[in-house]
Amino acid sequence: MHREFVCIICPNSCRISVEYEGTNIKNIKGYECPKGKDYVKNEIINPLRVFTGSVLVENGDFSLVSVKTPSPISKKYLKKVGEITHRIKVEAPIEIGQVVAFNLLNKNIDLIATRKIKK
Amino acid sequence: MQEKEVIIIGGGAAGLAAAVACHQKGIEDILIIERGDYLGGILNQCIHDGFGLEKFNTSLTGPEYAQRYIDKVANRKIPFLLNSMVVGLTPQKEVVVVNSQGLQHYRARVIILAMGCRERTRGAINIPGARPSGIYTAGVAQELINLKNYMVGEKIVVLGSGDIGLIMARRLTLEGAKVIMVAEKLPYSSGLPRNINQCLYDFDIPLLLSHTVVDIEGNGRLSGVTIAQLGKRGGIITGSKRKITCDTLLLSVGLIPENELSREADIVLDNITGGPQVDERGQTSIPGIFSCGNVLQVHDIVDNVSLEAEYIVEGVVEYLEGKLNKEREIKVELRNGLRYVVPQTLIRVKDTIFSFRVNQPGEKKVIVFENGKKVIKKKFLRRVNPAEMIRVKLSSSELEGIKRLKVRLV
Repeated sequence: MHREFVCIICPNSCRISVEYEGTNIKNIKGYECPKGKDYVKNEIINPLRVFTGSVLVENGDFSLVSVKTPSPISKKYLKKVGEITHRIKVEAPIEIGQVVAFNLLNKNIDLIATRKIKK
Repeated sequence: MQEKEVIIIGGGAAGLAAAVACHQKGIEDILIIERGDYLGGILNQCIHDGFGLEKFNTSLTGPEYAQRYIDKVANRKIPFLLNSMVVGLTPQKEVVVVNSQGLQHYRARVIILAMGCRERTRGAINIPGARPSGIYTAGVAQELINLKNYMVGEKIVVLGSGDIGLIMARRLTLEGAKVIMVAEKLPYSSGLPRNINQCLYDFDIPLLLSHTVVDIEGNGRLSGVTIAQLGKRGGIITGSKRKITCDTLLLSVGLIPENELSREADIVLDNITGGPQVDERGQTSIPGIFSCGNVLQVHDIVDNVSLEAEYIVEGVVEYLEGKLNKEREIKVELRNGLRYVVPQTLIRVKDTIFSFRVNQPGEKKVIVFENGKKVIKKKFLRRVNPAEMIRVKLSSSELEGIKRLKVRLV
């Protein structure tokens, strides 16, 4: 099977063209760095994305704190993680990197704060 | 009247990077003036990741990227004002600020313009129809959802494929809304290809190229829009109109550098970029007033905003030391294929970074720099896209003896 991918890792947006069967890559070209090659491998086996969103804050200087998964998660869980994120509340103060939710969907998916919130 | 060495107008990505770079070069008498109630500007509402790949070699969210600079400003004890709006700027480098303390007057030896840009609105593109609620620019929707905890709607059409519109299509989907489509008037997207991929295709949101909104309906709240397909010359194709039921229309139809203050100070602006005309280190038509970031030219990625701010500070330092002397004035002349160039003029022979945007997408192009008829530099570009800024550095040795500088895309 032949497919064209646009790498999402950096703004270069490399167009990478791949020949593959199942999860077995036969020919791959068009990537400008090894990250592009890894990206396409993942796209064929298990596409990964970083989830970003925001959760409610109690007693903070902002009503929301932005969050992300510390590492990319399987693309198929993005929407479910989005739904759960609505129901989470965290108490201020919050530091960048602080874990605000852990092991979501029992898939070892954590959320960490990406913004400082004062009380 | 309070005297300052350097006043920076705007505490967003450009202003913060400029402040830190000035301080690193030994300039301590700095004041950042920010109208919002926090530093970091628009980065605070850009909670998605992908920032900092070039600058920090890692993928950060907007707030994390901003915090790196806010920490640097704090560690260096660089003074800043929040909730303070600059309401006057003169060619003599006097600045009038209004805040809760009332009016304050400053004069600076150098002013750095770092006011950023704002969004084009419905009025700017003249969409006919009713005037209900439920029509937002993408950036305003982003602020409401990400900072204010206010959801803008449930069934959404996005007009314009600018990056903020694409990012918001994904964001709204993850917040449980239905994004029906993104319509783009041009035959190609105005957003980065990676955003079309990860924001639209990941969620099966259709991108309709050569389509636009031709009517808006709704009494009180938006109830629907009519979209139509456009022909090669931009006219509506007969019979292509169709109604889409939706409660929200997001506009992602371009950004305009915010140069009201520059105009007030009689700084010469560029009609195409919407920003000031500058020399090779971001100095405007008024000596000692510099410009960087989105107020100079709209950037695709924040890393380039920070880099540009650091780069123009070299000129700021030279100016303060009395070493920025105009040797000549060479206008950078654009030939076919290129929409704009920054800087617009060269006043000295220095290593110079040129930024360009192209008129239309293309493949296997070469950007050619000529001194009169002699080619001084060529750069091969595998593909070009109006959504992607092109940056090319010419060294002082390549620019040595320059009399006329012409640039074209072939």
